[in-house]
Amino acid sequence: MQKPLETPLRYEEEGNVHLDFHGAVNTTIDFIVERYGVEVLHEIFAKVGKDVYVDLRRHLQAGDPNEMVRHWRHFFTRENADYDIAVGEDEIVLIVRHCTAYHHVAKIAPSVSAHFCDQTTKVNEAVAEGTPYRIDTEITGPGACRQIIRRRS
Amino acid sequence: MIPSDHFTRFYNEVFKFLESKGQEDLELYWLEISKNQEKHILDLIKTKGLQGMYEYWSVIEEEENCDLDLTVDDDHLELHMHGCPSLAKVMDNDAAPMTRYCDHCAGWIGPIMDKTGYHLVYDAISRTEPRCVMRIYKDAEKAKEAEKSVQLLMGWPGKQERG
Repeated sequence: MQKPLETPLRYEEEGNVHLDFHGAVNTTIDFIVERYGVEVLHEIFAKVGKDVYVDLRRHLQAGDPNEMVRHWRHFFTRENADYDIAVGEDEIVLIVRHCTAYHHVAKIAPSVSAHFCDQTTKVNEAVAEGTPYRIDTEITGPGACRQIIRRRS
Repeated sequence: MIPSDHFTRFYNEVFKFLESKGQEDLELYWLEISKNQEKHILDLIKTKGLQGMYEYWSVIEEEENCDLDLTVDDDHLELHMHGCPSLAKVMDNDAAPMTRYCDHCAGWIGPIMDKTGYHLVYDAISRTEPRCVMRIYKDAEKAKEAEKSVQLLMGWPGKQERG
């Protein structure tokens, strides 16, 4: 039997990747925190989660966390990260052992911002806000984390 | 991780916040991005001049999947962007585009050209079409002449009027 065709992701990409953009994110994070404070940075990430990733939120609101899994697979694969995703009955766990973004910034910038991984934590929180799911992010080391999708109790 | 593919949509949210704070805040940010970009382009310009710029934008063409034509001769570099992926992604976006999104390009490139003694003429053409023309001259008079035929001339922090 043929597997049904999946619809493309809302922001599916092809072609080359320009990893230096992660360096610009790092610069931006430090600029915003120094001038306006970390709360403003988090508000901007929340806007990204809610306003840019509308489609991911729509899927979570409809009880479908699989679109988030597809999103992770597509972009972590494009960036050649070292990761695994375990889809269980009660939770979905993304384990990132080598985050390409973090390690690229460590290579090209004087330092990785102390708030660099807030982009993951805060965007995840905002994508899941108001849906039946939570997405928790645990930083497990430099350029390593666990991201967990669970139904809210 | 915000994927590098989605950087421009993050950038767009940052621009909208900074625009709400005022023009000076936006320009300070462009200057910060300009400083960040120096590590990718400044040595190329200092050691190879226009040819170094050609090398830099050749990498950008490939890595950012741009549809552009790039030429260089002894006195100027010319970049014709036919399909700008940066603005195209910001317009193909569930979040609203920042209306002056295009301004950031001259905003970071201009200060580097001022610093290295080159003369930028940046024609955005239209802020809602993902295309533009960038010309960089060794000679200020030639830049001044080129400015006469642009459709939407971009400025940048610290830009001096030419003549």
